[in-house]
Amino acid sequence: MSRIPIAAAAAVFVLAGAVLPSPAIAEVRVLACEPEWAALAEAVGGGDVVVHSATHGRQDAHHVRARPSLIAKVRRADVLFCSGAELESGWLPVLMQRGARQVIQPGQPGHIMAADHVAVLDRPETIDRSHGDIHPSGNPHVHLDPRNVEILASELVRRLERIDPGNADAYRSRLASFRADWAVAMEGWRSRVARLQGMKVVVYHEAWTYFLHWAGLTRVASLEALPGIPPSASHLQDVLEQSREAGAEAILRAPYEPRDASDWFSARTGIPVVELPFTVGGHPQAGDLVSLFDITLKLLEEVRDRS
Amino acid sequence: MHTVARHVLLAVIVIPVLLLPIVPPAGAQSATEPSAAELAEQIRALKREYEARIGALEAQLSVLESGARDAEGMSAEPASRPASDNAFNPAIGIVLNGMFSEYSADESEIPGFPTGHESERPAQGFSLGHSEIAISSNIDDKFHGNLTLGLGVHPGEPTEVELEEAYIQTLPGAGLPEGMRIKAGRALWTFGYLNEQHRHGDDFADRPLPYRAFLDSAYNDDGVELSIVLPADLYSEIGFGVFRSDDFPFGGSANGHGAWSAYTRFGGDFGRDSAWRVGAYVLGGEAHERGGGHAHAGEGHGHDEEAHHDENGHHVEDEHHDENGHHDEDEHHGEDEHHVEDEHHDDEHHDEHGHAAFFSDGLFSGDSRLFALDFRTTWAPTGNAQERELTLQGEYFWRTEQGTYELAAEGDEEAESEYFDTTTRGWYAQAVYRFLPRWRIGARYSRLLASDDMELGHDPEAVAAMVDWTNSEFSRLRLQYSRESLAADEHDSQIMLQYIMSLGAHPAHTF
Repeated sequence: MSRIPIAAAAAVFVLAGAVLPSPAIAEVRVLACEPEWAALAEAVGGGDVVVHSATHGRQDAHHVRARPSLIAKVRRADVLFCSGAELESGWLPVLMQRGARQVIQPGQPGHIMAADHVAVLDRPETIDRSHGDIHPSGNPHVHLDPRNVEILASELVRRLERIDPGNADAYRSRLASFRADWAVAMEGWRSRVARLQGMKVVVYHEAWTYFLHWAGLTRVASLEALPGIPPSASHLQDVLEQSREAGAEAILRAPYEPRDASDWFSARTGIPVVELPFTVGGHPQAGDLVSLFDITLKLLEEVRDRS
Repeated sequence: MHTVARHVLLAVIVIPVLLLPIVPPAGAQSATEPSAAELAEQIRALKREYEARIGALEAQLSVLESGARDAEGMSAEPASRPASDNAFNPAIGIVLNGMFSEYSADESEIPGFPTGHESERPAQGFSLGHSEIAISSNIDDKFHGNLTLGLGVHPGEPTEVELEEAYIQTLPGAGLPEGMRIKAGRALWTFGYLNEQHRHGDDFADRPLPYRAFLDSAYNDDGVELSIVLPADLYSEIGFGVFRSDDFPFGGSANGHGAWSAYTRFGGDFGRDSAWRVGAYVLGGEAHERGGGHAHAGEGHGHDEEAHHDENGHHVEDEHHDENGHHDEDEHHGEDEHHVEDEHHDDEHHDEHGHAAFFSDGLFSGDSRLFALDFRTTWAPTGNAQERELTLQGEYFWRTEQGTYELAAEGDEEAESEYFDTTTRGWYAQAVYRFLPRWRIGARYSRLLASDDMELGHDPEAVAAMVDWTNSEFSRLRLQYSRESLAADEHDSQIMLQYIMSLGAHPAHTF
């Protein structure tokens, strides 16, 4: 019967797959879901890690295709480092299932979800899809509060020490220097943020919550009527009046967010649009985490100075 | 009396105030007996004092609270996860699908390629398409389970609940080697691109011709499948399956594990905004009395009592034709008889169609093997698939079948059967472009290629164009126009308006 050779071939493949040794771990392979976590992993991992980011700085991490290359990345990853709080729920579960990589499953040291380690804002009281594509666990865009970045740096190093104990000292010393640099940067940002206090802004999506919270900016309105649902003309009209009355000074836009709504809005109100980097790589000069915050503050200061 | 009242009043007012660090106002009380007016004034004074203090404390509190919030931001303590009563209930997702269709032709059958219910054209006018209820959950640390019920609504028949999927699947914690998974039960098995997908994820309102003809829309037999993602930079997956051999294109399984499959897939990225995947698949098994147009082909309703052929399904009395046919091929099927074995049948029907009648109306029993190649590539010009995205997709199938086709007795006409060895092919290619975040357009061409031996004289083909509007990832409206030419000189223009809505848990879509 023709089935026998097939079965034999199958058995050979299965055995080969099971027996073939996985290549010795020279470096810890980190798969970050977003560029900010990739940047952080590079900062504390240095030459002891190989970092890949599933998304780039001009991509919306809500909507990523579970593309084959990412399955291959998951299959070989030692650490999975993501925002969590359902930000990646449209694509990460399928990757994790298909990649079938044990060491990055929930509960393993190689599984880090940023939102599990910081205070999450905007946790909804009721969960209903008529409220849009909400995140039941709260707002997942935690990286735009620099204090959270520092927390995650420590957490990542704790994990790396367990996964790769041989290089624990290197991770610890890199963390120490990262924290020192971060403290210096924070000091500078603190005084700059003081000048921005109370600045009124319109956002497109609630992507800036942590930043606004940290920097003391006031969100006047959101162009999206409901999260994940593109703005409608009638909603924009409402927001228009709301923003005028409140005296909004800027419209914040992430690089991946559609331009038409915010441009239209800006033309009607005269409120300038500021395209902030949102993440590492979202602006030509936002090459790492420090410059991400530097550029973000600089762009806001420019708006403030102009008005 | 006055003293008592005063003490009670003072206690009521002052105790809460005393709880807060407050110095009693000097000179508010006099040691001497106060008059009622004095008392009232004192009380008012106390009240004012109290309110002022409370106000100050509230202000202080709010300052403290905001400080606490900031401190929280610094805290390394993990935030507690939201817990709900139904945290351990399985995820339930429902897909609602409805249609309005208009057709120019009354019939829509593919001559030579009888299919089952699943591939029939939706009923004219209003109809409910494929509604689904999917229940899934991780069972424990090692297994995941899924049950999908399809509500099949076929006009003129009672609504039937079809068990589309009921499978368990190993989780990465199951202790299998890294990258390996096993799925068992009934599932939409890995074969080509569309087979694994639920219908609501399709880009068009109907499945392309090769899926309808070769798989009755989808192969979801009972069985087990093993897949392994290899530890390579290039996505590489191999898999094998053994199945019951009851679902179309098979049926009437004798030993309950008569079908098998094997596949391999590769994929990767072109640059950072484009991805691709290719795959090669084979699915083999045995069919028993499949076809006949109206039969529930492949649903496991084989009629074993009628089995009167040997293991290979050959009828000894039949003349055997190989694929190249030793007959004088006559595409136009003239009046003259051209097959010796047909001579004793004086039925007009058979004279007209020759072999075609066997393929269109006969019941096939024999070996069936289906091969497929698929490719898919996506390109998001702005990096954001949500904003603009071009998807190109195509699949090529070929099926080899060796076995007998049996035409049932009708009237005074005897039953007859004949052995054939045929290869049929089919393919489709489609392009879908998202030009605005909510809008997509798409076009698809699909075609079936019959073997000459089938004497159909026509290769069925269909073109489709669609535009759809996606409000959120949970709701979609679609308008599709198709033009099908399934039989010679027959055309069917179809307009379909469709809604697809998903409620509740919605599993992530694969690439």
